[in-house]
Parts: sequence; structure tokens; C-alpha cells
Amino acid sequence: MASVMKVLSKPLTPEEREKAFKSSKKVEVLARQRLPVRYHVEDFDVEDRPRRFLEAFASILKHTNYRLALDHYIRVTTRCARCAVACPIYDATHDPHDIPCYRSELLLSIYRRHFTVSGVLRARLLGDPGLTDEKIQELADSYYNCTACRRCHFECPMGIDHALITHLGRYILSEIGIAPRALVVSTREQLTGATGNTSAIPVPALIDTLEFLTEDIQDEKGIHVPFPVDQEGAEYIFFTAVSDYMMEAETLKGIAAVMKATGGSWTIGTGYYDGINYGLFYSDQVMEHALQKMQVEAKRLGAKKILMGECGHASRTAKYFYPTYCGGKDALPVISILEYTQQALKEGRIKLDPSIVTERVTYHDPCNFSRTGWIVNQPREVLKAFCADYEEMAPNGRSNLCCGGGGGTVSIDEVRPYRTTVSGRLKAEQIRRTGAHYCVAPCANCKKQLRELVEDQGVECEILGLHDLIYKAIILPPDPKPEEELDETAGGSVKLSKGGES
Amino acid sequence: MPNYEAGGRVYEVDEDGFLQDPDLWSDDVAKDFMSTEGISELTEEHWKVIHYIRNYYLQFGIAPMVRKVCKQTGFSLKEIYNLFPSGPAKGACKLAGLPKPTGCV
Repeated sequence: MASVMKVLSKPLTPEEREKAFKSSKKVEVLARQRLPVRYHVEDFDVEDRPRRFLEAFASILKHTNYRLALDHYIRVTTRCARCAVACPIYDATHDPHDIPCYRSELLLSIYRRHFTVSGVLRARLLGDPGLTDEKIQELADSYYNCTACRRCHFECPMGIDHALITHLGRYILSEIGIAPRALVVSTREQLTGATGNTSAIPVPALIDTLEFLTEDIQDEKGIHVPFPVDQEGAEYIFFTAVSDYMMEAETLKGIAAVMKATGGSWTIGTGYYDGINYGLFYSDQVMEHALQKMQVEAKRLGAKKILMGECGHASRTAKYFYPTYCGGKDALPVISILEYTQQALKEGRIKLDPSIVTERVTYHDPCNFSRTGWIVNQPREVLKAFCADYEEMAPNGRSNLCCGGGGGTVSIDEVRPYRTTVSGRLKAEQIRRTGAHYCVAPCANCKKQLRELVEDQGVECEILGLHDLIYKAIILPPDPKPEEELDETAGGSVKLSKGGES
Repeated sequence: MPNYEAGGRVYEVDEDGFLQDPDLWSDDVAKDFMSTEGISELTEEHWKVIHYIRNYYLQFGIAPMVRKVCKQTGFSLKEIYNLFPSGPAKGACKLAGLPKPTGCV
């Protein structure tokens, strides 16, 4: 199938443009915050922003090693704009401001002007007044128009990782109070709130949900499939996007079924059960604190490995940043459920009935899984093992297109028109062209965005997780006898009431 | 905080139009807020979903899992979307007076 980027590169119509960039924000809020962005921001100190921005920037440079990357990037950047061809946003807007290296230059120019000797001298000679409030406003708008999909860094001849610069820009902005409220409110609940997770799900509700899921599987399959809770010494401690416990029953049922079939020793900890880490999208400090919570809970239960559910950013954060912040080489290994299931299938420990899913299936690569090449083939191997009618999108794998809701933008409901008109436009066309009945997207972010996308773009396709399909097709061994149920799996099943008090 | 006015009553709401104080909920709230969700009339089916979500919230402090809403009320997900066009996590929760869901919901 031909790449949609080659076939469909026409800019938005004026009507689409108006819809995508319309702001629902009230005039008085825009005036009060002096920040023309479409996402909501909690009120913050608007005075003297350039000075505070530079102080935050200086502080981050002092305490991190971003300077290494920035020093290199300002030397090699040529602003050749080759990255434009890789960017789905630019493909839609054809606006030079949306070329990745233009976006990066916004921050690099501040770095060059204020944090290098030559920049400071040059500014003295030329009388450059330095960072202005207008530039901060442009940054705040521009850096959340990018979905941080990291597709552009493949095209850069100089190897610049534009998404790293976007990440740093957002981090600095958040230090002066500019960050989407949707992300801030969620992480506040996660790090300091009573429930300790981004969707504010209390433990009794979690337990009720897990009990319900076990009953649901019993009703549908006639087999007892437990969700072990607070099992000390389990091999795997399981973290998923906590929103799955509200939205993704089928995914969770599929995962539990796989764990049951393979006799996997796993547990969900009631001390902390959220894999989400929005720190990846706007703040290294938030990222560190959320990862430490994960570490504390894994230690509490004496788990040997961390098992991540179907969520791209959560898995990537755990895989690549958890060792950085929690223990280095001694950090627990991090494994995605996609890897676990593929391995189990390869070893013949799960059986999938190939006659169940007869409709056409396609696979959407979540950027946070595929861009590094970490998880590309594993889910495909699983799907091809039991889905007869499997169709690829183009492009796919490492050079896939973002769902349009990456970089935390999917949680920002007020930018939905932008996500489904601009950043997700090519993805909608990709899905449409496969003619698939099911689009598998093993990521909580991608699922939410793709469902909104197919709805807004009128594409007939059901979006679901990999384990949703597995759940339909998995052949579970029958339970021996009802009374033996409670001690039959390797991990030890558990009475769900143990972990929580209602 | 913005205000929302309907049915001769004034409500404090957040930027997304969700009731600011979930304790101030009554059936009137659902009736007054339905137009913001593109609903012209609240049928018995709407009330069944709203009351289920509301009671679950009072017991557990959070909205129930979508699958549980479907199973307990007997409606398919599609039927729930027909009743509440913006979905169970948004529209139905708004009319049931719950706070706006956070995270990836």
C-alpha cells in the first residue's frame, strides 16, 4: 500500500483550518493570562515572565545534562527543513512555523543568546534586548502543537532530536506555571492526592472493578481468571494506564487470561497501580517522582520484574527512564505485556483460536513503542498467528505516523478539533485505506485519540487493544474443580477482598 | 470560576461545564445540563444510567468502569453513546454531577 504521505499532501481547507484552531477559551482568561494558547492553563504569575523563564532554564541546565545536547545542536543545526517531509502536522498546515527545526530554533535561539559566551557578546554588540514575552507566548503555543512523535529525527541529516528540544521547552515552561491544566491536575492527584493516581480511582473502586472483571470472564468463558492483588513475592508487578480500569475492560480481561494461561506470577499493588507518567510530556521532575512511586511499590511487594500494560508512553517511561532515576543497573527489568504475550505464544504456552476473528485487522504502532524499534514485530507476530485477514498501514513500524494525540495532547479535551483535524488527519486516512474492521492500538493514549479521530473523520473502524482481540480468541484450559480454584495458579490466585477495605 | 445558568438556577462549573461541587447534585442538575450535551429529553433510559453512575460515585468516589455501566444497566456501549453523545465518561458523568474525569479518560 502506498504511503499516505506521498498520496495525500494537500493543506487544510480554510474551513478545516478554522475548526482546528478555534479556541474555546474565554476572552477574559486570555487577557488575564496573556497567553494565546488553546489549552487551559491554571492561573499563574504573569509578571516578569522572560526573567523567570531564563532563571528556570539556567537552573535546569545546572542540574541536568541538557547542556551537552544543546551545545551540540546549536553547532550543527542548519535549519535545512528536511524534517518537514516527516512531520504530519506540517503536512496538514503547510505552515513554516510547524517545521520541526523551526520549532526547535525557538528554544535553541534562546539558549544561544543567553547561555553561550558568543551569544552574550554578540547581543552586546548588536544591542539585542534578549528574550521577550512574545517569544514565550509563541513557545507555549508551538510546543503543544507538536505531538512529540519523534518521526522528524529520522530525517535530520545532523541527527537532531527535535522532540527532546520540545520536551525541554515544555519542562522550562512548566517551571514558570505554563502547562496544560489537564496534565497538571492529573499529576497533582497522582503525586500528592488521596488516591495517588491520575484518574483518581480509590482502592475500593479498583478492587470492585477487578472483582467485576473476574465475574465478567466467568460469565463469558466459564473460567475463573483472577486479578491477583498485593501478592508479595510475585514475579511481575503490573502497572498500566490507570484509566484502563475505567475504560478498557476487554484489554484487562485479555491480559489476565494470558497470565492465567501461562501460569504467570503477577500482582497489582494497591499502594500504587498507575503506569501513567505525564512527566514524559512536560516535566522531568514529575517523571522522576512518578517513577519513584513505582519503585517503592515494587520494593514493598518484593516483585522481581515490572510488567507494563498496553500503554506506549507509560512503557517507554518505565523502560528507558526508570533505570535513570531508580537504581541504574540494579533497577528491576521492565517488560511490556506485548513482549510477554509474544514470548508465551512462541513457546506454545497460549493457544489462540484462528477461527474467531475473521474480520480484517490492522495494527497501529504507538510511537513510544515503535520509534526506537523496541516493539514493532512482537504484536504483529501475535496478530498474524490468529487473524487471517491482516493488513498493514503504510508507513508503519519505526516510521509509523502518530495517532495525532501524542505528547500528552490526547488528555487535553479542548484541543480535540486540532487533534482530529490536523495531527491525526493522515492517520485517519491510513486507517480508512486498510478497510479494516478492527484497528489494534495497544496504548491507552492512542485508543482514546483514534476513537475520537474515527468518529470526527467518519471512518468505520473499531479501535481496540491487542489483548481485546486475544481475549476473544484465547483458549483457556478448563478449571479443575470449583473448590480447587483458590490455589491452582503458579502465582497463587487471591481473594480480591484482601487488598482493600470498602 | 464560570457560572452556568439554566432553569432559573445558577451553577458554579469548571471550564468544561462540569458541576464544581458534586455534592450539590439533584435531578434538576441533570435536567438543566442536558442541553449542553445535545440531549433534548431525559428518558427513563437516561435516568437509569445517570442514577447508576451517581450511586456508584456516592459509594466509591469515582465513576464505574464503562463495561460495568453497560452490564448493570443492560445497555450496549452503542446505546449508551446514543443516549449520551459525548459518551459515558463525559456526558453521562456530567449529568450525574461527577467531577470531570482526569488522566487518559
